[in-house]
Amino acid sequence: MKEFRFRLIIIVAAIALSIYLLYPTYLDYQNSSDIKQTLELKRLQLVKENPDFTKSQIDKLLRANEDSILAANPDIVKNKEKRVKLGLDLQGGMRVVLEVNTGKLLEKLAKNPDETFRAVLAEAQQESERTDESVVDILARKFTERGIRLSRYFGTIRDEDSQILSSLTDNAEDAVNRAVEIIRNRVDQYGVSEPSIQRQGSRRIIVELPGIAREEEAKKLLQGTALLEFRIVREADFTFPVMQKIDDVLAGKVLDDTTQVASEDKATETTPTDTSIAAADTTTPEGELSEEEFRKQHPFFSIALLDPQGRSADAYVKVEDKNKLELMLNRPDVQKVIPNNVEFKFQARSQTDAEGNEFFVMYLVNKDPELTGGVITDATANIDPNTSAPIVTMTMNSEGATEWARITGANVNKRIAIMLDGGIFSAPVVKGKIPGGRSQIEGMADLNEAKLLEIVLKAGALPAPVDIIEERSVGPSLGEDSINKGLLSVILGYALVGIFMIIYYRRAGTIAAAALTFTILFILGVLAGFNATLTLPGIAGIILTIGMAVDANVLIFERIREEMATGKTIKASVDSGFSRAYSAIIDSNITTFFTGIILYQFGTGPIQGFALTLMIGIAASLFSALVVTRLILDLMVSKNIPVTIG
Amino acid sequence: MRFFENFNFDFLGKRKFAYALSGSLFLIGLIAAFTRGFQFGIDFKGGSEIVLQFEKPINIAEVRADVENIGLGNMEVKTFGGETGVMIRTEMQVVPVEVYPKVIEGIEAEIEKLMPGVPRKLIDSSASSVTYAFENPDTANQIIDGLFASGFQSGRVSEEPDNVEMLVSVGIADWIKENLRAKITDNTFTVLKEDRVGPKIGAELKRDALLAIFFALIAILVYLGFRFKFVFAFGAVAALFHDVLITLGLFSLLYGLIPGLNLDIDLTVVAAFLTLIGYSINDTVIVFDRVRENLKIHKTRPLFDVINTSISQTMSRTVITGGTTLLTVLVLMIFGGEVLRAFAFTLFFGIIIGTYSSIFVASTLVYEYATKYHKKVEF
Repeated sequence: MKEFRFRLIIIVAAIALSIYLLYPTYLDYQNSSDIKQTLELKRLQLVKENPDFTKSQIDKLLRANEDSILAANPDIVKNKEKRVKLGLDLQGGMRVVLEVNTGKLLEKLAKNPDETFRAVLAEAQQESERTDESVVDILARKFTERGIRLSRYFGTIRDEDSQILSSLTDNAEDAVNRAVEIIRNRVDQYGVSEPSIQRQGSRRIIVELPGIAREEEAKKLLQGTALLEFRIVREADFTFPVMQKIDDVLAGKVLDDTTQVASEDKATETTPTDTSIAAADTTTPEGELSEEEFRKQHPFFSIALLDPQGRSADAYVKVEDKNKLELMLNRPDVQKVIPNNVEFKFQARSQTDAEGNEFFVMYLVNKDPELTGGVITDATANIDPNTSAPIVTMTMNSEGATEWARITGANVNKRIAIMLDGGIFSAPVVKGKIPGGRSQIEGMADLNEAKLLEIVLKAGALPAPVDIIEERSVGPSLGEDSINKGLLSVILGYALVGIFMIIYYRRAGTIAAAALTFTILFILGVLAGFNATLTLPGIAGIILTIGMAVDANVLIFERIREEMATGKTIKASVDSGFSRAYSAIIDSNITTFFTGIILYQFGTGPIQGFALTLMIGIAASLFSALVVTRLILDLMVSKNIPVTIG
Repeated sequence: MRFFENFNFDFLGKRKFAYALSGSLFLIGLIAAFTRGFQFGIDFKGGSEIVLQFEKPINIAEVRADVENIGLGNMEVKTFGGETGVMIRTEMQVVPVEVYPKVIEGIEAEIEKLMPGVPRKLIDSSASSVTYAFENPDTANQIIDGLFASGFQSGRVSEEPDNVEMLVSVGIADWIKENLRAKITDNTFTVLKEDRVGPKIGAELKRDALLAIFFALIAILVYLGFRFKFVFAFGAVAALFHDVLITLGLFSLLYGLIPGLNLDIDLTVVAAFLTLIGYSINDTVIVFDRVRENLKIHKTRPLFDVINTSISQTMSRTVITGGTTLLTVLVLMIFGGEVLRAFAFTLFFGIIIGTYSSIFVASTLVYEYATKYHKKVEF
């Protein structure tokens, strides 16, 4: 028994690890079907109670509900992160490949584009369609060919071609970063769950949006220019009373005639209140009554937390409460107590505090921007040589500079929010009047944050035009259909191969069928462990693996049969069967593994999923055959249990 | 149960038959490739593709007629999956020039419906979008929202508050959907899948696919050269070419002929070809491994006999593994759904041809090569 102990431990450990890695997936599956059911019931109820609500309003209410369910059980979120993810082809969604249109950017950068410039640019653009060379390089080459200096269109007359070329290249590079940030910002604001935004190559961006239902809207989200605004942040003495009023309205206290008007609408508006209270209830852990009382009496302040020591009225809102708060703020009775010229706006990115809580800061800002981004000519993130703190320098054109001087002069010691597409990226305090149009922004945590602000500031000035060059979208029904058919095929394939093995190899075949079960378990476990994405071709890879995985077992069993035919004992036959089949198994699987690697290298999305499952499948089936089957056979031999191989 | 017990067959002796069979399969494929060509999916040639799922069964001929009436010229219209699915495909990326006035007419009509007589100016019309300017931002916003609500892809040109311009993008898929919705009123549809691949991406994908297959072959050649002898690597890779080319020929021969089977060459099919390479080499290596082993044991036996014995000895494994794999691929072909059918088809025939080639072609080529150059193969 001792000789088997080590192998036994390894096998048990591998099985336990696989189950451990897969358990979150199982839980997540259960959780999501529970949540789905709850939300569906809620939807029916909401639709019945509010026949005049639009679909997006109801969706928003439901999202708030979902958020509060998730917030109440952090385990759900944890499981979601650890589960085997489904690819877009299985859960539905869209994948878009965008390319930054460098040509348009160059045209915008050119000082005085004339006919010649446009003609050369068009030529360069056309050529770039066919080659990997960048438009900037092609353009520069074409100008050199014609004997035109680049300084005729870019930079100043004294600049060398090479200088201009490198600055243009930087600009093109920047444009891609900008486009990525703009898209990320919008996707975040739009509230897509688990989006993926990646740069690919020099000027491509791959955006994956799972579960997007309205693709037209998503496409709109990705294209179009971004809006950069500077808006005044209202101070505490203005903001706090507004918040107080909102809190009173939400708590149902009738204060003045403004709320009186609101109460007339109550008949139709009670439900959202109910919803939010109901949602609040689910979030409440088994706490003291006073906390619950506080929630009831101060629905607003219980989720929009103010810093008691702070002099500003910036509200800290937990990530999971954001939707709920937005809903509260959108209620007509609440809208009535917010002055017309201001609105609450959130930070574009969430922050994490020392305890690991993620939250957004909410500001009250003017509705009308003081200035929009078109006036910015440049922005650079840098390290201040004196203080070695990260800073961003921003310059404006003359028209913007005059305005900026007036605005900053009138708002000394107040804060101005820098907003891109409705999300606030920074709210620096104005230290004094800025006359020349050159401003310096301080107070960023690190250089990365400064770089982000630089990108945001430039986004308003220099749009990064993007073209959609590839888009693929899969509807949710096709995805679900694919999952069902895939699962059916896995089960059927497994059953057929298993039955065949049992019939053909009898007892040994039964062991092989059991080993096949482990193989599938290991594949799924490794997928979960790698946080890999399961795609439809990935499922095909698993099915194919089932067919091919028995190969190692077949090789071994055939060898054992041959050895037994020479008159060896069963023990000797098993030993030499394994050792002789070994080289064939390794050589043949390594070559298949090679093609898997190559497929992974050259494939995209779903194909990579296939390559991955194929490779994992090879490794898992080798482990099953060489370790699991071997151990069981050895055990049977040592216990004198007859091994029948057909 | 046992197949091929004490099996011994003179495979090499029958190699003339194998040559004839492979040669004729090859020839058929070649003729098909030259006369019929291949049908590439939009992954490689670029274009737009939409898959619609109707509520009730449809008559594909009627849908085809409807699609033709849209005036976009030649379009591929096929059933997808069951009786309610339709796939429409075109190489076009954008709406052609001659149809453009119609598209603009449609937008104009919608604007008129929203705000009769509203002053507007068509300021730009490019291949994929038209741009209108209105008198003030409010009108612009209202019309943008109105058009968007009725299915157009309208948007603001800039997010500045004083924006008065509206951009309506007119993708080919949108145009088809809009028209079909108007034409087929008694049977609603949902969009199952929508793909658009630009020509540049298509060219790149094609290049990547060819490179992938090329590198896979090189990697196998190098690895087998190391583990065996060059002769074996040569035989194996030649057998792979044999498998890939004959399966490709089958694609060319059969596309469009079998109802319900869509034999477009796309990314998934390329993946299937690479898998086929992996599977077929697996099979071949197992025979070679046996040859290697037998050559070590019987140093004086002629190569001819050693190869015959080795193939015979591994025959039962070759057939059983081929059988179980075929079984699963068959399950995939029948139950795996439309998306994976071409993939499963490639593997199904590929595995049959691959198994045949590892028995009759790979070792035979090794033998021919060794005898021709009087090489003594030993380990």
